Amino acid sequence: MTETANVLEARDLVVHFPTGDGQAVHAVDGVSFVIPAGTAFGLVGESGSGKTTVAMACARLTDITSGSVYLQGEEITHLERGALKAVRRHVQVVFQDPYASLNPRERARDIVRRPLDLMGIGTKQEREARVDALFATVGLRSEQKDLFPHQFSGGQRQRIGIARALATSPKLLICDEPVSALDVAIQAQILNLLGRLKGELGLAFLFISHDLAVVQHLCDRIAVMYLGQIVEIGARRDIFSRPRHPYTHALISAVPSPHTIGASTRIRLKGDPPSPISPPAGCRFAGRCAHTVEICRRATPTLEAGDTGHAVACHRADDPEVVAVRDMLVRASSG
Amino acid sequence: MPEPLKPELLTSGPLLSVRDLEIVFRIDGQDVPVVRDLSFDIEAGETLGIVGESGCGKSITALSLLGLVPNPPGRVSKGQILLNGEDLTRAGEARLNAVRGNDISMVFQEPMTSLNPVYTIGEQIAETVRVHFGLSRAAAWDRAVEMLSQVGIPSPKTRAHDYPHQLSGGMRQRVMIAIALVCEPKILIADEPTTALDVTVQAQIFDLFQDLQERFGAAIILITHDIGVVAQMTDRVMVMYAGRKIEEGSVASFIRDPRHPYTRGLISCIPHLSLPPSDVPAPLFEIPGVVPSARELGASGCAFAPRCSHASGRCAAETPTLFPVGDGRSAACWLEVEAAR
Repeated sequence: MTETANVLEARDLVVHFPTGDGQAVHAVDGVSFVIPAGTAFGLVGESGSGKTTVAMACARLTDITSGSVYLQGEEITHLERGALKAVRRHVQVVFQDPYASLNPRERARDIVRRPLDLMGIGTKQEREARVDALFATVGLRSEQKDLFPHQFSGGQRQRIGIARALATSPKLLICDEPVSALDVAIQAQILNLLGRLKGELGLAFLFISHDLAVVQHLCDRIAVMYLGQIVEIGARRDIFSRPRHPYTHALISAVPSPHTIGASTRIRLKGDPPSPISPPAGCRFAGRCAHTVEICRRATPTLEAGDTGHAVACHRADDPEVVAVRDMLVRASSG
Repeated sequence: MPEPLKPELLTSGPLLSVRDLEIVFRIDGQDVPVVRDLSFDIEAGETLGIVGESGCGKSITALSLLGLVPNPPGRVSKGQILLNGEDLTRAGEARLNAVRGNDISMVFQEPMTSLNPVYTIGEQIAETVRVHFGLSRAAAWDRAVEMLSQVGIPSPKTRAHDYPHQLSGGMRQRVMIAIALVCEPKILIADEPTTALDVTVQAQIFDLFQDLQERFGAAIILITHDIGVVAQMTDRVMVMYAGRKIEEGSVASFIRDPRHPYTRGLISCIPHLSLPPSDVPAPLFEIPGVVPSARELGASGCAFAPRCSHASGRCAAETPTLFPVGDGRSAACWLEVEAAR
């Protein structure tokens, strides 16, 4: 695969936030991935695992400590002002809360047109025509253009947020928990819309969700993050049929399934994630893992890729003990 | 102290029985019903799931059990809420205060807005204990620390001195649960208690609920829209739409053989995690439109008819009542009535 076929590439991305007393929050610690055009890349993990920080770094909305980000083969890690603005045209974000992310004093048409105004794209007429087209794309009626956000339901507001993100014809759409604030019946409408956009517009998606079922539904490749690092990455089918990292096992087993009424094969994690200010040496998950042995606390496991690009950072991923847990999970789910 | 219960009331009937409940809100000089003809029972040790979209009346029903319907504009206009045979709709504020916490307590959805930001979490739990058990400050504080430990807060002695903003979302929700459980209620109402939380934290919180149930035989009313949670946690499910119960049955029948078109829609519109995954995920089922507001509802006809692909003339004209569909189940749908003919 040539470099330019990837819409986004992150290499060894590190984002540390200084705490003010000389220490730093290790929000993201050496994350690498690529997102080819027309595919969706999902980031999963608990709150605080660094998913959102990765996305914000890729959109250059937070400072990058080290490592690099490439957009369509061009490095954007250190771009400033004018050049950065040109990049933003190609990277847009759909936010989680459709109530907080729309200006309550602007009409829907103005909200959707704003990115075009700011970036000076097209004439006045062309922008209005573009707004009309965008309303149709996201399934809003054109007579709704003059309404204010409070006159829309939550699902319709999220459609406005998506239309605004699509206004500049971006190459990469970052969706940070786009459906978790929506009502259950509305989630399906928005997920179907995003799925359709992926197919029709050839967009690359960076999709963040704590809901594994949503990620499984929409994403082609998935990375599991824990405390600022990717612990497992692979194709959708590999992650959900042969999950290899004990943390991935724990996440999958914690999702309540309608197939197994009352029963639970849940793997109980010990304690809470350690502090990202002073992450432990060795494997960061070792303190909560049921399979920890001496080497886990001493040596940091590296992300080892198998033949299908399915990679796992675990010393014991191939150990019969860990493999047995995976087999149990898959059996429980299919049974 | 709660009033001693009459022995004949203890032995007969369910722990909580709601009969023909109607709740109205006064809007522009008119009483608009937001919950109608609602009857359900819950036994000790049982978990009842209440399912439905926002705006279906789930939360206001839960509030009514605690006498917390905001008045004005709302009030319980008809029906009874019987706790061990005692009608709570007729109880005074003093009696309701005794019921709250001791008999029925509630975990709210938003742990940040439900905790008081200017008191430490230890103080907030201890206050509950002092009010309900009349313990001394020191004894109440010890009980608070013990409760924090029980809900899985690490180093509870230190954490008790923290303010809500110093805790993560999961920790805050555990504090809310500690407050709800500290009086060992007979009924715990949990309104979307884990919606804002990670799956791993959600699982820990459900462990706590089940533990409470095993130790004290508490009944749990779990309001959720997550069908997976329903499957794992509940014994029986009640589906609400536009203020009415439209289906009720055991959890197995709810998931494997839903009868009402709305129930079927709710189950099939969300993606379910499957191992291994299907190769190409099919588009999700969409329930078109949105829940009608209470004011938009006509006097008669099925409230779901405008969104229902099976609706016929009868659905628009007559309101379907709950119809038994066997196995202790019921559904409010004319299709079931027709099919039974």
